[in-house]
Amino acid sequence: MDKIHIGRNVLDHQLLDSDGRRCGNVDDLALEGNEVVAIHVGPGYWQRRAGLLGRVAGFIGGSNRVRIPWSEVEKVDAAVRLRRPAPEYGLGKIDDRLRPYLERVPGAKR
Amino acid sequence: MSKLLNLALGILAAIGGFVDIGDLVFNTAAGATFGYQLLWVIPVGVLGIIVYSEMSGRVAAVSEKAVFDAVRERTGFAAGLSALLASEVVNLLTLAAEIGGVAIALQLLAGLPYRVLLVLAVVALAVVVWTLQLEWIERVFGYGGLCLVVFAVAAVKLGPDWAKTGNGFIPHIAQNNSWLYLYFAVGLLGAAMTPYEVYFYSSGGIEDRWTAEDIGLNRANAIVGYALGGFLSIALMIVGASVFLRHGINPEHLGTIALGAEQPLGKIGLLLAVVGILFAVGGAAIDTVFSGAYNLAQFFGWEWGRYRHPAGAPRFALTWVFLLVAALAIVLTGVDPVMLTEYAVIFSAVALPLTYIPILLVANDPEYMGRHVNGRLANVLGLGYLIVIMVIAIAAIPLMIITNVGQN
Repeated sequence: MDKIHIGRNVLDHQLLDSDGRRCGNVDDLALEGNEVVAIHVGPGYWQRRAGLLGRVAGFIGGSNRVRIPWSEVEKVDAAVRLRRPAPEYGLGKIDDRLRPYLERVPGAKR
Repeated sequence: MSKLLNLALGILAAIGGFVDIGDLVFNTAAGATFGYQLLWVIPVGVLGIIVYSEMSGRVAAVSEKAVFDAVRERTGFAAGLSALLASEVVNLLTLAAEIGGVAIALQLLAGLPYRVLLVLAVVALAVVVWTLQLEWIERVFGYGGLCLVVFAVAAVKLGPDWAKTGNGFIPHIAQNNSWLYLYFAVGLLGAAMTPYEVYFYSSGGIEDRWTAEDIGLNRANAIVGYALGGFLSIALMIVGASVFLRHGINPEHLGTIALGAEQPLGKIGLLLAVVGILFAVGGAAIDTVFSGAYNLAQFFGWEWGRYRHPAGAPRFALTWVFLLVAALAIVLTGVDPVMLTEYAVIFSAVALPLTYIPILLVANDPEYMGRHVNGRLANVLGLGYLIVIMVIAIAAIPLMIITNVGQN
Protein backbone atom coordinates (compact mmCIF):
# COMPACT_ATOMS: atom_id res chain seq x y z
CA MET A 1 0.00 0.00 0.00
CA ASP A 2 3.00 2.30 0.02
CA LYS A 3 3.14 2.52 -3.75
CA ILE A 4 -0.09 4.33 -4.50
CA HIS A 5 -0.30 7.85 -5.83
CA ILE A 6 -2.53 9.63 -3.33
CA GLY A 7 -3.63 12.41 -5.66
CA ARG A 8 -4.50 10.03 -8.49
CA ASN A 9 -5.58 6.86 -6.72
CA VAL A 10 -7.39 8.14 -3.66
CA LEU A 11 -8.71 11.68 -3.99
CA ASP A 12 -12.16 11.76 -5.66
CA HIS A 13 -12.42 7.97 -5.68
CA GLN A 14 -15.35 5.83 -4.57
CA LEU A 15 -15.45 4.64 -0.95
CA LEU A 16 -16.68 1.10 -0.29
CA ASP A 17 -17.34 -0.23 3.19
CA SER A 18 -16.60 -3.74 4.42
CA ASP A 19 -19.87 -4.98 2.89
CA GLY A 20 -19.04 -3.51 -0.51
CA ARG A 21 -21.59 -0.74 -0.06
CA ARG A 22 -20.94 2.55 -1.86
CA CYS A 23 -20.72 5.14 0.90
CA GLY A 24 -19.40 8.38 -0.55
CA ASN A 25 -16.39 9.66 -2.42
CA VAL A 26 -13.09 10.85 -1.02
CA ASP A 27 -13.82 14.58 -0.98
CA ASP A 28 -10.61 15.76 0.65
CA LEU A 29 -7.46 14.49 2.33
CA ALA A 30 -5.93 15.48 5.66
CA LEU A 31 -2.16 15.79 5.45
CA GLU A 32 0.44 16.06 8.15
CA GLY A 33 3.67 16.92 6.47
CA ASN A 34 3.91 14.51 3.57
CA GLU A 35 1.73 11.90 5.16
CA VAL A 36 -1.98 11.33 4.66
CA VAL A 37 -3.52 10.92 8.09
CA ALA A 38 -7.21 10.91 7.25
CA ILE A 39 -9.85 10.88 4.54
CA HIS A 40 -12.49 13.59 4.55
CA VAL A 41 -15.98 12.81 3.30
CA GLY A 42 -19.06 14.97 3.05
CA PRO A 43 -20.55 18.14 1.57
CA GLY A 44 -18.87 20.16 4.30
CA TYR A 45 -15.60 19.72 2.40
CA TRP A 46 -16.89 20.74 -1.04
CA GLN A 47 -16.65 24.50 -0.57
CA ARG A 48 -12.91 24.65 -0.57
CA ARG A 49 -12.66 22.45 -3.62
CA ALA A 50 -14.76 24.29 -6.19
CA GLY A 51 -15.15 28.01 -5.57
CA LEU A 52 -18.61 29.46 -6.02
CA LEU A 53 -20.13 26.33 -7.54
CA GLY A 54 -18.67 24.29 -4.67
CA ARG A 55 -20.18 26.68 -2.15
CA VAL A 56 -23.60 26.37 -3.78
CA ALA A 57 -23.27 22.56 -3.85
CA GLY A 58 -22.11 22.58 -0.22
CA PHE A 59 -25.06 24.76 0.72
CA ILE A 60 -27.49 22.31 -0.89
CA GLY A 61 -25.64 19.24 0.36
CA GLY A 62 -25.37 20.44 3.95
CA SER A 63 -22.42 20.78 6.27
CA ASN A 64 -21.91 17.13 7.15
CA ARG A 65 -18.23 16.24 7.58
CA VAL A 66 -16.85 12.79 8.29
CA ARG A 67 -13.20 12.20 9.09
CA ILE A 68 -11.87 8.68 8.66
CA PRO A 69 -8.38 7.90 9.94
CA TRP A 70 -6.09 6.47 7.25
CA SER A 71 -5.60 3.36 9.41
CA GLU A 72 -9.23 2.44 8.62
CA VAL A 73 -8.38 2.04 4.93
CA GLU A 74 -8.08 -1.65 4.19
CA LYS A 75 -6.89 -1.34 0.62
CA VAL A 76 -6.96 0.84 -2.45
CA ASP A 77 -7.87 -0.70 -5.80
CA ALA A 78 -10.51 0.60 -8.20
CA ALA A 79 -12.11 2.04 -5.05
CA VAL A 80 -10.95 2.92 -1.55
CA ARG A 81 -12.04 0.08 0.72
CA LEU A 82 -12.76 0.59 4.41
CA ARG A 83 -12.38 -1.98 7.17
CA ARG A 84 -15.82 -1.67 8.76
CA PRO A 85 -19.49 -1.10 7.78
CA ALA A 86 -20.45 2.44 6.75
CA PRO A 87 -22.69 3.28 9.77
CA GLU A 88 -19.75 2.80 12.14
CA TYR A 89 -18.08 5.77 10.47
CA GLY A 90 -21.25 7.82 10.20
CA LEU A 91 -21.38 7.27 6.43
CA GLY A 92 -24.50 6.44 4.40
CA LYS A 93 -26.71 8.11 7.01
CA ILE A 94 -29.02 9.80 4.54
CA ASP A 95 -29.73 6.58 2.65
CA ASP A 96 -30.35 4.76 5.93
CA ARG A 97 -32.76 7.45 7.08
CA LEU A 98 -34.68 7.46 3.77
CA ARG A 99 -34.92 3.70 3.42
CA PRO A 100 -37.83 3.04 5.86
CA TYR A 101 -40.00 5.57 3.99
CA LEU A 102 -39.27 4.04 0.59
CA GLU A 103 -39.92 0.55 1.90
CA ARG A 104 -43.51 1.56 2.63
CA VAL A 105 -44.16 1.98 -1.09
CA PRO A 106 -45.26 -1.32 -2.68
CA GLY A 107 -42.63 -2.81 -4.97
CA ALA A 108 -39.71 -1.06 -3.31
CA LYS A 109 -38.26 -4.36 -2.14
CA ARG A 110 -38.85 -6.51 -5.19
CA MET B 1 -27.90 -21.94 -28.85
CA SER B 2 -29.73 -20.10 -26.09
CA LYS B 3 -26.71 -17.79 -25.86
CA LEU B 4 -27.02 -16.97 -29.54
CA LEU B 5 -30.74 -16.45 -29.13
CA ASN B 6 -30.07 -14.12 -26.21
CA LEU B 7 -27.60 -12.11 -28.26
CA ALA B 8 -30.08 -11.86 -31.11
CA LEU B 9 -32.84 -10.77 -28.76
CA GLY B 10 -30.52 -8.20 -27.21
CA ILE B 11 -29.62 -6.82 -30.63
CA LEU B 12 -33.27 -6.58 -31.64
CA ALA B 13 -33.94 -4.62 -28.46
CA ALA B 14 -30.97 -2.37 -29.20
CA ILE B 15 -32.25 -1.54 -32.69
CA GLY B 16 -35.62 -0.60 -31.27
CA GLY B 17 -33.92 1.36 -28.52
CA PHE B 18 -31.54 3.36 -30.72
CA VAL B 19 -34.01 5.88 -32.04
CA ASP B 20 -35.20 8.59 -29.67
CA ILE B 21 -37.11 11.79 -30.16
CA GLY B 22 -33.98 13.66 -31.27
CA ASP B 23 -33.38 11.18 -34.10
CA LEU B 24 -37.05 11.22 -35.10
CA VAL B 25 -37.20 15.01 -35.27
CA PHE B 26 -33.85 15.76 -36.88
CA ASN B 27 -33.79 12.94 -39.44
CA THR B 28 -37.29 13.63 -40.68
CA ALA B 29 -36.86 17.40 -40.71
CA ALA B 30 -33.51 17.09 -42.50
CA GLY B 31 -35.13 14.89 -45.14
CA ALA B 32 -38.08 17.26 -45.49
CA THR B 33 -35.78 20.25 -45.98
CA PHE B 34 -32.73 18.94 -47.83
CA GLY B 35 -33.94 15.67 -49.33
CA TYR B 36 -31.19 13.07 -49.42
CA GLN B 37 -28.38 15.59 -49.11
CA LEU B 38 -27.66 15.01 -45.42
CA LEU B 39 -27.66 11.19 -45.52
CA TRP B 40 -23.86 11.11 -45.21
CA VAL B 41 -24.04 12.65 -41.74
CA ILE B 42 -25.85 9.59 -40.33
CA PRO B 43 -22.97 7.09 -40.69
CA VAL B 44 -20.58 9.73 -39.36
CA GLY B 45 -22.70 10.11 -36.21
CA VAL B 46 -23.26 6.37 -35.83
CA LEU B 47 -19.53 5.63 -36.03
CA GLY B 48 -18.95 8.33 -33.39
CA ILE B 49 -21.38 6.79 -30.91
CA ILE B 50 -19.90 3.35 -31.60
CA VAL B 51 -16.36 4.58 -30.91
CA TYR B 52 -17.20 6.26 -27.61
CA SER B 53 -19.67 3.63 -26.41
CA GLU B 54 -17.13 0.90 -27.06
CA MET B 55 -14.50 2.93 -25.21
CA SER B 56 -16.71 3.69 -22.21
CA GLY B 57 -17.91 0.07 -22.09
CA ARG B 58 -14.30 -1.16 -22.14
CA VAL B 59 -13.37 1.29 -19.38
CA ALA B 60 -16.32 0.01 -17.33
CA ALA B 61 -15.38 -3.62 -17.93
CA VAL B 62 -11.68 -3.26 -17.15
CA SER B 63 -11.47 -0.50 -14.53
CA GLU B 64 -14.94 -0.73 -12.94
CA LYS B 65 -15.48 2.98 -13.57
CA ALA B 66 -18.64 4.42 -15.06
CA VAL B 67 -18.46 7.72 -16.95
CA PHE B 68 -18.96 10.07 -14.01
CA ASP B 69 -16.53 8.14 -11.81
CA ALA B 70 -13.96 8.79 -14.50
CA VAL B 71 -15.02 12.41 -14.96
CA ARG B 72 -14.52 13.20 -11.29
CA GLU B 73 -11.30 11.25 -10.89
CA ARG B 74 -9.65 12.67 -13.97
CA THR B 75 -10.88 16.27 -14.00
CA GLY B 76 -11.22 16.84 -10.25
CA PHE B 77 -14.09 18.09 -8.18
CA ALA B 78 -14.45 21.60 -9.59
CA ALA B 79 -14.35 20.84 -13.33
CA GLY B 80 -16.27 17.64 -12.74
CA LEU B 81 -19.03 19.53 -10.97
CA SER B 82 -19.42 21.86 -13.97
CA ALA B 83 -19.60 18.85 -16.29
CA LEU B 84 -22.18 17.27 -14.00
CA LEU B 85 -24.32 20.40 -13.94
CA ALA B 86 -24.19 20.74 -17.74
CA SER B 87 -25.11 17.11 -18.35
CA GLU B 88 -27.92 17.16 -15.83
CA VAL B 89 -29.46 20.21 -17.49
CA VAL B 90 -29.20 18.61 -20.94
CA ASN B 91 -30.54 15.35 -19.57
CA LEU B 92 -33.54 17.06 -18.03
CA LEU B 93 -34.36 18.88 -21.27
CA THR B 94 -34.05 15.60 -23.17
CA LEU B 95 -36.23 13.81 -20.66
CA ALA B 96 -38.89 16.51 -20.86
CA ALA B 97 -38.88 16.25 -24.66
CA GLU B 98 -39.18 12.46 -24.56
CA ILE B 99 -42.10 12.65 -22.11
CA GLY B 100 -43.80 15.15 -24.40
CA GLY B 101 -43.25 12.70 -27.24
CA VAL B 102 -44.84 9.85 -25.30
CA ALA B 103 -47.89 12.02 -24.59
CA ILE B 104 -48.22 13.01 -28.26
CA ALA B 105 -48.06 9.37 -29.36
CA LEU B 106 -50.66 8.47 -26.73
CA GLN B 107 -52.82 11.34 -27.95
CA LEU B 108 -52.79 9.93 -31.47
CA LEU B 109 -53.90 6.57 -30.08
CA ALA B 110 -56.34 7.64 -27.37
CA GLY B 111 -57.39 11.21 -28.10
CA LEU B 112 -57.42 12.45 -24.49
CA PRO B 113 -56.22 16.00 -23.70
CA TYR B 114 -52.44 16.47 -24.00
CA ARG B 115 -51.84 17.57 -20.40
CA VAL B 116 -53.80 14.64 -18.96
CA LEU B 117 -51.69 12.29 -21.08
CA LEU B 118 -48.47 13.95 -19.89
CA VAL B 119 -49.39 13.14 -16.30
CA LEU B 120 -50.49 9.62 -17.29
CA ALA B 121 -47.24 9.10 -19.19
CA VAL B 122 -45.09 10.11 -16.22
CA VAL B 123 -47.10 7.98 -13.80
CA ALA B 124 -46.87 5.00 -16.15
CA LEU B 125 -43.10 5.45 -16.61
CA ALA B 126 -42.59 5.75 -12.85
CA VAL B 127 -44.60 2.58 -12.16
CA VAL B 128 -42.69 0.68 -14.86
CA VAL B 129 -39.29 1.78 -13.54
CA TRP B 130 -40.26 1.19 -9.91
CA THR B 131 -41.63 -2.31 -10.39
CA LEU B 132 -40.14 -3.95 -13.51
CA GLN B 133 -36.66 -5.36 -13.80
CA LEU B 134 -34.52 -3.50 -16.29
CA GLU B 135 -34.08 -6.57 -18.44
CA TRP B 136 -37.83 -6.57 -19.00
CA ILE B 137 -38.03 -2.84 -19.51
CA GLU B 138 -35.36 -3.05 -22.21
CA ARG B 139 -37.09 -5.94 -23.95
CA VAL B 140 -40.61 -4.49 -23.85
CA PHE B 141 -39.59 -1.05 -25.07
CA GLY B 142 -36.98 -2.39 -27.47
CA TYR B 143 -39.39 -4.76 -29.22
CA GLY B 144 -42.12 -2.12 -29.23
CA GLY B 145 -39.66 0.30 -30.80
CA LEU B 146 -38.97 -2.26 -33.52
CA CYS B 147 -42.33 -1.22 -35.01
CA LEU B 148 -40.32 1.69 -36.39
CA VAL B 149 -39.05 -0.76 -39.01
CA VAL B 150 -42.28 0.25 -40.73
CA PHE B 151 -40.37 3.38 -41.80
CA ALA B 152 -37.82 1.20 -43.60
CA VAL B 153 -40.64 -0.58 -45.45
CA ALA B 154 -42.21 2.79 -46.20
CA ALA B 155 -38.89 4.17 -47.46
CA VAL B 156 -38.52 1.32 -49.97
CA LYS B 157 -42.17 1.35 -51.00
CA LEU B 158 -42.03 5.09 -51.67
CA GLY B 159 -39.57 4.31 -54.45
CA PRO B 160 -36.92 6.89 -53.64
CA ASP B 161 -34.53 8.10 -56.29
CA TRP B 162 -31.76 5.57 -55.58
CA ALA B 163 -29.12 7.46 -57.54
CA LYS B 164 -29.77 10.60 -55.51
CA THR B 165 -29.88 8.52 -52.34
CA GLY B 166 -26.44 7.14 -53.15
CA ASN B 167 -25.12 10.64 -53.81
CA GLY B 168 -26.46 11.71 -50.44
CA PHE B 169 -23.88 9.51 -48.78
CA ILE B 170 -21.04 11.50 -50.34
CA PRO B 171 -20.09 14.29 -47.92
CA HIS B 172 -20.79 17.74 -49.34
CA ILE B 173 -22.26 21.09 -48.38
CA ALA B 174 -25.50 22.38 -49.89
CA GLN B 175 -25.26 25.38 -52.21
CA ASN B 176 -28.43 27.11 -51.00
CA ASN B 177 -29.23 27.78 -47.43
CA SER B 178 -25.85 26.59 -46.16
CA TRP B 179 -26.39 27.81 -42.59
CA LEU B 180 -29.57 25.76 -42.22
CA TYR B 181 -27.80 22.81 -43.80
CA LEU B 182 -24.99 23.07 -41.23
CA TYR B 183 -27.51 23.48 -38.43
CA PHE B 184 -29.13 20.20 -39.45
CA ALA B 185 -25.74 18.51 -39.76
CA VAL B 186 -24.87 19.52 -36.18
CA GLY B 187 -28.31 18.43 -34.99
CA LEU B 188 -28.01 15.03 -36.68
CA LEU B 189 -24.60 14.45 -35.10
CA GLY B 190 -25.86 15.63 -31.73
CA ALA B 191 -28.90 13.37 -31.97
CA ALA B 192 -26.82 10.33 -32.94
CA MET B 193 -24.15 10.91 -30.28
CA THR B 194 -26.48 11.93 -27.42
CA PRO B 195 -24.42 11.83 -24.21
CA TYR B 196 -27.06 10.02 -22.16
CA GLU B 197 -26.57 6.92 -24.32
CA VAL B 198 -22.93 6.72 -23.27
CA TYR B 199 -23.71 7.28 -19.56
CA PHE B 200 -26.38 4.62 -19.71
CA TYR B 201 -24.23 2.18 -21.64
CA SER B 202 -21.21 2.40 -19.34
CA SER B 203 -23.25 2.26 -16.14
CA GLY B 204 -25.06 -0.76 -17.56
CA GLY B 205 -21.69 -2.46 -18.03
CA ILE B 206 -20.91 -1.97 -14.33
CA GLU B 207 -24.35 -3.24 -13.33
CA ASP B 208 -23.97 -6.34 -15.50
CA ARG B 209 -20.60 -6.87 -13.77
CA TRP B 210 -18.62 -6.90 -16.98
CA THR B 211 -15.00 -7.92 -16.64
CA ALA B 212 -12.08 -7.78 -19.04
CA GLU B 213 -13.44 -11.01 -20.54
CA ASP B 214 -16.52 -9.17 -21.75
CA ILE B 215 -14.77 -6.63 -23.94
CA GLY B 216 -15.50 -8.72 -27.03
CA LEU B 217 -19.18 -8.76 -26.16
CA ASN B 218 -18.98 -5.01 -25.49
CA ARG B 219 -17.49 -4.39 -28.92
CA ALA B 220 -20.11 -6.56 -30.68
CA ASN B 221 -22.95 -4.87 -28.78
CA ALA B 222 -21.77 -1.38 -29.60
CA ILE B 223 -21.06 -2.02 -33.27
CA VAL B 224 -24.05 -4.15 -34.23
CA GLY B 225 -26.67 -2.41 -32.09
CA TYR B 226 -25.83 1.13 -33.15
CA ALA B 227 -25.10 0.31 -36.79
CA LEU B 228 -28.44 -1.42 -37.27
CA GLY B 229 -30.16 1.37 -35.35
CA GLY B 230 -28.57 3.79 -37.81
CA PHE B 231 -30.54 2.15 -40.62
CA LEU B 232 -33.74 3.37 -39.00
CA SER B 233 -32.33 6.90 -39.06
CA ILE B 234 -31.60 6.52 -42.78
CA ALA B 235 -35.13 5.24 -43.36
CA LEU B 236 -36.60 8.21 -41.50
CA MET B 237 -34.64 10.67 -43.61
CA ILE B 238 -35.65 8.98 -46.86
CA VAL B 239 -39.30 9.04 -45.79
CA GLY B 240 -38.88 12.72 -44.89
CA ALA B 241 -37.46 13.38 -48.33
CA SER B 242 -39.96 11.27 -50.28
CA VAL B 243 -43.14 12.32 -48.49
CA PHE B 244 -42.63 15.74 -46.95
CA LEU B 245 -40.17 17.43 -49.30
CA ARG B 246 -42.17 16.25 -52.30
CA HIS B 247 -45.33 17.82 -50.88
CA GLY B 248 -43.67 20.82 -49.29
CA ILE B 249 -44.68 19.82 -45.76
CA ASN B 250 -42.62 20.79 -42.74
CA PRO B 251 -43.10 18.02 -40.13
CA GLU B 252 -43.37 20.39 -37.17
CA HIS B 253 -45.54 18.03 -35.17
CA LEU B 254 -44.44 14.59 -34.01
CA GLY B 255 -47.69 13.15 -35.37
CA THR B 256 -46.77 14.38 -38.83
CA ILE B 257 -43.75 12.06 -38.79
CA ALA B 258 -46.10 9.08 -38.41
CA LEU B 259 -48.02 10.24 -41.48
CA GLY B 260 -44.85 9.54 -43.43
CA ALA B 261 -45.57 5.82 -42.98
CA GLU B 262 -49.30 6.18 -43.65
CA GLN B 263 -48.85 7.64 -47.10
CA PRO B 264 -47.32 4.51 -48.68
CA LEU B 265 -48.72 1.86 -46.31
CA GLY B 266 -52.14 3.07 -45.20
CA LYS B 267 -53.77 2.80 -41.77
CA ILE B 268 -51.66 -0.14 -40.63
CA GLY B 269 -48.51 1.84 -41.45
CA LEU B 270 -49.77 4.75 -39.39
CA LEU B 271 -50.63 2.52 -36.44
CA LEU B 272 -47.26 0.77 -36.46
CA ALA B 273 -45.47 4.10 -36.73
CA VAL B 274 -47.32 5.58 -33.76
CA VAL B 275 -46.79 2.47 -31.63
CA GLY B 276 -43.11 2.42 -32.64
CA ILE B 277 -42.70 6.09 -31.72
CA LEU B 278 -44.48 5.50 -28.40
CA PHE B 279 -42.17 2.68 -27.35
CA ALA B 280 -38.97 4.13 -28.79
CA VAL B 281 -39.50 7.48 -27.09
CA GLY B 282 -40.80 5.88 -23.88
CA GLY B 283 -37.73 3.63 -23.70
CA ALA B 284 -35.48 6.60 -24.34
CA ALA B 285 -37.22 8.48 -21.51
CA ILE B 286 -36.35 5.62 -19.17
CA ASP B 287 -32.71 5.52 -20.33
CA THR B 288 -32.49 9.28 -19.88
CA VAL B 289 -33.96 9.36 -16.41
CA PHE B 290 -31.62 6.57 -15.30
CA SER B 291 -28.65 8.39 -16.82
CA GLY B 292 -29.45 11.51 -14.81
CA ALA B 293 -29.59 9.48 -11.60
CA TYR B 294 -26.43 7.48 -12.47
CA ASN B 295 -24.41 10.64 -13.04
CA LEU B 296 -25.40 12.28 -9.79
CA ALA B 297 -24.88 9.13 -7.72
CA GLN B 298 -21.50 8.38 -9.31
CA PHE B 299 -20.23 11.90 -8.85
CA PHE B 300 -21.17 12.01 -5.16
CA GLY B 301 -20.40 8.37 -4.41
CA TRP B 302 -23.95 7.33 -3.49
CA GLU B 303 -25.19 3.79 -3.73
CA TRP B 304 -26.76 3.33 -7.17
CA GLY B 305 -28.12 0.68 -9.45
CA ARG B 306 -31.32 -0.41 -11.10
CA TYR B 307 -30.74 -4.06 -10.16
CA ARG B 308 -31.00 -3.07 -6.54
CA HIS B 309 -34.62 -2.57 -5.55
CA PRO B 310 -35.47 1.11 -5.02
CA ALA B 311 -35.06 0.79 -1.25
CA GLY B 312 -31.54 -0.56 -1.80
CA ALA B 313 -30.38 2.76 -3.26
CA PRO B 314 -32.70 5.40 -1.76
CA ARG B 315 -31.06 8.59 -3.01
CA PHE B 316 -30.66 7.09 -6.47
CA ALA B 317 -34.36 6.17 -6.54
CA LEU B 318 -35.45 9.58 -5.25
CA THR B 319 -33.25 11.27 -7.86
CA TRP B 320 -35.01 9.62 -10.77
CA VAL B 321 -38.41 10.29 -9.21
CA PHE B 322 -37.43 13.94 -8.82
CA LEU B 323 -36.16 14.14 -12.42
CA LEU B 324 -39.45 12.72 -13.73
CA VAL B 325 -41.44 15.29 -11.76
CA ALA B 326 -39.17 18.16 -12.86
CA ALA B 327 -39.43 17.09 -16.51
CA LEU B 328 -43.21 16.87 -16.17
CA ALA B 329 -43.27 20.41 -14.81
CA ILE B 330 -41.35 21.61 -17.88
CA VAL B 331 -43.70 20.02 -20.43
CA LEU B 332 -46.82 21.00 -18.48
CA THR B 333 -45.99 24.65 -19.25
CA GLY B 334 -47.12 23.77 -22.79
CA VAL B 335 -43.71 24.18 -24.43
CA ASP B 336 -43.67 22.35 -27.76
CA PRO B 337 -41.81 19.01 -27.39
CA VAL B 338 -40.35 19.26 -30.90
CA MET B 339 -38.90 22.68 -30.06
CA LEU B 340 -37.66 21.30 -26.74
CA THR B 341 -36.01 18.44 -28.63
CA GLU B 342 -34.10 20.83 -30.84
CA TYR B 343 -32.81 22.76 -27.82
CA ALA B 344 -31.93 19.54 -26.01
CA VAL B 345 -29.98 18.14 -28.98
CA ILE B 346 -28.13 21.39 -29.69
CA PHE B 347 -27.17 21.89 -26.03
CA SER B 348 -26.09 18.27 -25.78
CA ALA B 349 -23.74 18.93 -28.70
CA VAL B 350 -22.22 21.69 -26.56
CA ALA B 351 -21.87 19.38 -23.55
CA LEU B 352 -20.36 16.46 -25.48
CA PRO B 353 -16.65 17.27 -24.99
CA LEU B 354 -17.09 17.45 -21.21
CA THR B 355 -17.86 13.75 -21.08
CA TYR B 356 -15.92 12.43 -24.05
CA ILE B 357 -12.56 13.93 -23.07
CA PRO B 358 -12.35 12.16 -19.67
CA ILE B 359 -13.35 8.86 -21.31
CA LEU B 360 -10.58 9.22 -23.87
CA LEU B 361 -8.06 10.08 -21.11
CA VAL B 362 -8.99 7.10 -18.94
CA ALA B 363 -9.08 4.72 -21.91
CA ASN B 364 -5.46 5.70 -22.59
CA ASP B 365 -4.30 5.38 -18.98
CA PRO B 366 -2.46 2.10 -18.37
CA GLU B 367 -2.98 2.53 -14.65
CA TYR B 368 -6.71 2.08 -15.20
CA MET B 369 -6.67 -0.10 -18.27
CA GLY B 370 -3.56 -2.27 -18.09
CA ARG B 371 -3.12 -3.98 -21.42
CA HIS B 372 -6.61 -2.98 -22.54
CA VAL B 373 -5.67 0.65 -23.21
CA ASN B 374 -6.84 2.11 -26.50
CA GLY B 375 -5.21 0.61 -29.55
CA ARG B 376 -4.18 2.73 -32.51
CA LEU B 377 -7.56 2.46 -34.25
CA ALA B 378 -9.51 3.50 -31.13
CA ASN B 379 -7.19 6.48 -30.63
CA VAL B 380 -7.22 7.66 -34.24
CA LEU B 381 -11.01 7.47 -34.29
CA GLY B 382 -11.31 8.81 -30.74
CA LEU B 383 -9.14 11.85 -31.47
CA GLY B 384 -10.79 12.39 -34.84
CA TYR B 385 -14.22 12.43 -33.26
CA LEU B 386 -12.99 14.63 -30.44
CA ILE B 387 -12.10 17.24 -33.07
CA VAL B 388 -15.51 16.80 -34.72
CA ILE B 389 -17.18 17.16 -31.33
CA MET B 390 -15.19 20.30 -30.45
CA VAL B 391 -16.16 21.87 -33.78
CA ILE B 392 -19.84 21.10 -33.35
CA ALA B 393 -19.74 22.21 -29.70
CA ILE B 394 -18.42 25.61 -30.78
CA ALA B 395 -20.66 25.88 -33.84
CA ALA B 396 -23.91 24.62 -32.31
CA ILE B 397 -25.22 27.72 -30.55
CA PRO B 398 -24.16 30.28 -33.21
CA LEU B 399 -25.88 28.09 -35.84
CA MET B 400 -28.98 27.87 -33.69
CA ILE B 401 -29.10 31.67 -33.46
CA ILE B 402 -28.32 32.30 -37.16
CA THR B 403 -31.02 29.88 -38.32
CA ASN B 404 -33.52 30.90 -35.62
CA VAL B 405 -33.57 27.29 -34.31
CA GLY B 406 -33.94 25.87 -37.80
CA GLN B 407 -36.94 28.03 -38.69
CA ASN B 408 -35.62 29.93 -41.72
